[in-house]
Amino acid sequence: MSTKIDLSLSRPNRIYRPSEPLEGKIVVKSASSISHYGIRMALNGSVNLQVRGGSAGVIESFYGVVKPITILSRTLEIRPSGKIVSGTTEIPFSITLRNPKEDNSERFYETFHGTNISIQYLATVDIMRGYLHKSLSATVEFIVESDKADLLNPPISPEMVIFYITQDTQRHSILPELKSGGFRITGRISTQCSMLEPLSGELIVEASVLPICSIDIHLLRVESVLLGEKIITETSLIQTTQIADGDVCRNMTLPIYVVLPRLLTCPTVLAGPFSIEFKVAIVVIFQSELSRLHPKSDPLTPRLWMAMETLPLELVRARER
Amino acid sequence: MEFRPRNYVAEEQSHLLPRSRADIHPFSSYSPQSILRQVDDNEENRNNEEFFDPLRAPDSNASVETVDGHDFESSSNGNDDSFPVQTKEWTSFKRFLMQRFPVSKMISVSSMSNTIVRSGKAHEKSSSSTHLEELDDPQKFSETDTKVITQQEYVSRLHELKDEINRAWHSEDRVKSLKLSIKVARLLMDTSVSNFYPTLFVLVTDVLNMLGDMVWERIRQKAEFAEDGARLCSLRENFRASDVPIDAKETCYNWFCKVGSIRELLPRIYLELAIFPCWRFLIEQPAESLQRLVMMTRGIGDPLASAYCRLYIAHRAQKLPSHDTGYLITCLNDITLIFTRISSTKESAHGCFADSKRSLVSLMEPSIEFIMKCILSDASQRRAGKVLVELGLGRSQEELFGGSPCVSIVLHHLLKELPIDIVSFHAVDILHLIKCSNDNSYDQSLNYRLVGLRLSEQISQIGSVEAVVNKVIQVVSEYGLDDYLKIVDAYLDIVLQNQMDGHLKTILEGISKLASDKVLAEDELASLQSILVKLLSHFKDLEHVFSLNHFLQILDMMHGNSRGIVNMHILDMATRNGYVHDPTTIQLLFEISQALHSDTDLVNMKNDDNQQQARLISRFVRMVDHGVEYERHLAFLMECRGALGSIIELKEILVHSSNCLATKALKDGKKHTAFVKTCIAFSEITIPSIPGHIKQLNLYLGTAEVALLGGLVSHSDGLIDSAINCLQSSDWMEGSRTLDSDGILSSIRKLCSLLIMIPGNPEVGILHIPKSLLLIIHSQSWSPRLKARILCAIISLSATLSQERLPYHADHPEIMGNDLLFFGDSSYVCELLSLTESVIQNLVDVIEQEPSRAARGSLSLEACNCIASSFKINEHVLSVCSKLIETAKLCLNAKDKYLTSTISFLDKNLPAGAVSSSIVI
Repeated sequence: MSTKIDLSLSRPNRIYRPSEPLEGKIVVKSASSISHYGIRMALNGSVNLQVRGGSAGVIESFYGVVKPITILSRTLEIRPSGKIVSGTTEIPFSITLRNPKEDNSERFYETFHGTNISIQYLATVDIMRGYLHKSLSATVEFIVESDKADLLNPPISPEMVIFYITQDTQRHSILPELKSGGFRITGRISTQCSMLEPLSGELIVEASVLPICSIDIHLLRVESVLLGEKIITETSLIQTTQIADGDVCRNMTLPIYVVLPRLLTCPTVLAGPFSIEFKVAIVVIFQSELSRLHPKSDPLTPRLWMAMETLPLELVRARER
Repeated sequence: MEFRPRNYVAEEQSHLLPRSRADIHPFSSYSPQSILRQVDDNEENRNNEEFFDPLRAPDSNASVETVDGHDFESSSNGNDDSFPVQTKEWTSFKRFLMQRFPVSKMISVSSMSNTIVRSGKAHEKSSSSTHLEELDDPQKFSETDTKVITQQEYVSRLHELKDEINRAWHSEDRVKSLKLSIKVARLLMDTSVSNFYPTLFVLVTDVLNMLGDMVWERIRQKAEFAEDGARLCSLRENFRASDVPIDAKETCYNWFCKVGSIRELLPRIYLELAIFPCWRFLIEQPAESLQRLVMMTRGIGDPLASAYCRLYIAHRAQKLPSHDTGYLITCLNDITLIFTRISSTKESAHGCFADSKRSLVSLMEPSIEFIMKCILSDASQRRAGKVLVELGLGRSQEELFGGSPCVSIVLHHLLKELPIDIVSFHAVDILHLIKCSNDNSYDQSLNYRLVGLRLSEQISQIGSVEAVVNKVIQVVSEYGLDDYLKIVDAYLDIVLQNQMDGHLKTILEGISKLASDKVLAEDELASLQSILVKLLSHFKDLEHVFSLNHFLQILDMMHGNSRGIVNMHILDMATRNGYVHDPTTIQLLFEISQALHSDTDLVNMKNDDNQQQARLISRFVRMVDHGVEYERHLAFLMECRGALGSIIELKEILVHSSNCLATKALKDGKKHTAFVKTCIAFSEITIPSIPGHIKQLNLYLGTAEVALLGGLVSHSDGLIDSAINCLQSSDWMEGSRTLDSDGILSSIRKLCSLLIMIPGNPEVGILHIPKSLLLIIHSQSWSPRLKARILCAIISLSATLSQERLPYHADHPEIMGNDLLFFGDSSYVCELLSLTESVIQNLVDVIEQEPSRAARGSLSLEACNCIASSFKINEHVLSVCSKLIETAKLCLNAKDKYLTSTISFLDKNLPAGAVSSSIVI
């Protein structure tokens, strides 16, 4: 009974491009020889969408899974029916992902794991053993990145925008002493960023009436799903990166350097039924007695002792430099 | 029995080695030619003589080797352990950090719980963020509610964490290792117990370095070996990123991603620094990332935390082969900015605020020190100049110190590390810069002092000595005594070596003016001590120093330990160049000795420190020489005994000196008999106050010899009686020390040889003294070995006394030897014989008591030789000797050389016809 089946891909990082063959081997370890009706490999790729109630204020009944969009669905026979001898057997395979004949197929979106949207590619191997035996199978996720041919040239100079955060740019109410005493934090940050590069920029605290407690860069995803006539959009936090801890020196340039997390980000996608976009928020927290009374607050909820600036961020897959 | 008659003159003649003239003194140094010749000789006589003195050979091989070794070390340049110097440096730096800031035992560790649950400022992590959850394990957070723990507990907790990280790593749970390491790094966010921070830094960075090393090893492993263990490639020490296989790069990049996703700034920087060397797997110029990390550190608002973070940057950057220091300059400039900020914060009325500032500055100091060292270690003059310009101190390579002033603590460490040539060349500018850089982060006077010390490293190279010293004298005039002394002390060598007598005068005048009517404090005394010692060691002649204006006045102001040390230097100097003749100097030194003596009198004389003083005083007394004014010298000795009496060593010297004085007087002529008697009386009175019977014994014997030389037989008799009393009265177990048998033996042998010269006194019996010796032997519980040898000495003594002509006589015409006194007196010889016979019996018995076989054997032989050479061999003697030989044969190997030679000696001396069969068994 101790039969084990394993699927191992040729690349340890499991990243493949649509034009490339998915390569690897099926490893079967068995104490006795097995006869089978064929070994099949299934490749599946899909965009899974779900809508949750909550921030979008959608009615309860909308909650549920929207029909997934299939990107890839293919089954191939690797071996015809036969026998696998006892011991360890390795069966290599190589399957082209994009079938040039099926030109009508969906676009190969890059792998993405979000809250409402997830784009996932799976390879599954099955050893068919008839009715009497359970078929042996193994599944592995592989990661898809865009083809080199489709890539943009690297942005020659990453697009930077200049931002100002002052008492006057805030849309929420702030502490009176902040309002009257004022503060001014300026800087630049890239709004178009290659997936391979860190999100970069810089920031200067020019003045602040209150001592600064912390400055954080929040990386946000904005997932939109078309549900009937409506577009349901949800913004959520991916990663927080603190760039200032405590009351930093004035007029000193602080770097913004955020490493983009893998899988949790992908190139910005604007498809018909869904879209994945990103934002970056710069949040300044001032030292205040009040903040101690609200220790657990959602970082993005505007508070009296906070100042923020949110900017759109386009992520692109660029050629490696 | 019959004593063997001896003819000492003939024996000496027959035993003399043939003498020939030598051309070269055996101890004189060889001229190169003679070495050469010797080598040549060697070449020629190779077959005959293989000997060649290796010490005399010019050791060219050795020197070549040293150079090679050095080259090898400087050229090795890799990662990890191939930076042994830096590793060592870091280890000692860590120790310095922990020791410099001692911590109170209890640490209010709101810190620990605080760092673990930083409720104060931060947001809680968003529950939607799975990525963060991977790093922050909420369950691990809710521990340690205690508010105060001991430092020990804190430290052991950290050690536990370190072990845990190590364990997790080796059980393939690397994510856990990382998580724990982040947790450890977070501890550094808390600076509330500021004195503990340096220690904490050391502990935490130890953990992080360990993690960094493990990651490095893992990626290196991945790069060099495939999963199945097959070797893929082998990375050279100075490999490039392009040599690294893609898989290893991928793993490495993952580590940087993981570390990059840490939310808080400080642990993110520390963790990246921990694995920083791994950038080498990814990019060709990893040093570029350092600049970014330096910039990121600016985001740490807490001055203490940011300073130590920069310290860690400097430390980790040492792991890279690159030598660019631009990032370190940025570090320093940033720290400078922080200092400016600290010192510009409003000074509140409370003094404690200034105090806390000062302690903050001193806590940050090690960071500056270390970074400065990294920047300027082995820097060329040119590069150091560039650094000065980059720090904003210089405008250009030509004008290195024309720029803006500097924060004084940064300046201090800069001056410490700058190449000496720059300091020497720009001394005047530097002094000016110090004047301009006057903030409260560091004591300005200490910077002046530092420049002085640096300049003293290379006095001959100073550009404009006159200007420098003028400037310093001007600066110093505005300071109080303490600073004055500290600064002047540093420049004194420069003043002295350049013979700036005018300035020296000004300085001494300044000191005496500032110090008069003042009780000097500990620090001031220490500086003063250093100044006076420098003066003393600079001048060769003590009289010259004493004649300097104000010198004696300043010396008088000193007290306590420092005074003692200066006094010791004076004494040392006085006696270094031979005898002291000048009466004024002697008087002054005597007073100094008295002062030293009264200082140390109170303390236990066995103390090691005081021994040095005792030695110096004794040496001084020994080196005093009043020439032919013997009376005066003796008076001086008496004065010493009165004033410095508690030094035992000195009393011995006094006895020797007075004996020496008597001998000198005797050699001078005959008029001094009274004086010699005084000297001997002086010695005789002094000796009993010296503890230690062997010492006394020897001193008595020495004095007795002098008395004999002076023809004072009754004196010498008395002295020898005293010596015998010494032997008698002692239990010979002084303190816990064991018996010095060799010492006693040699003293008794010395006594015996002295007795040969001393005329026998029929009133008390001519063998009164040897008999007393025998009595002592019986009464003491000495070892058989010692007893046997003393008995042998008595046998030899008797045999010698029996001769018709003694081997030597007292060097005084009025003293007759026993050979003349008892010439032809058969009762005299009989008495000697009867004494000896009983001694021989004793000897044989004593030898039997010796427990060690080997010793018993050789003692028997010694005794046998002694007896055989003292007596004509007749049957009685022969039977004793045979018995002794028997004993020796039982105890020793039959082939023992001593045994065989003794037997052959006996054979040779057997009277013709005697039966030898009893010996040769």
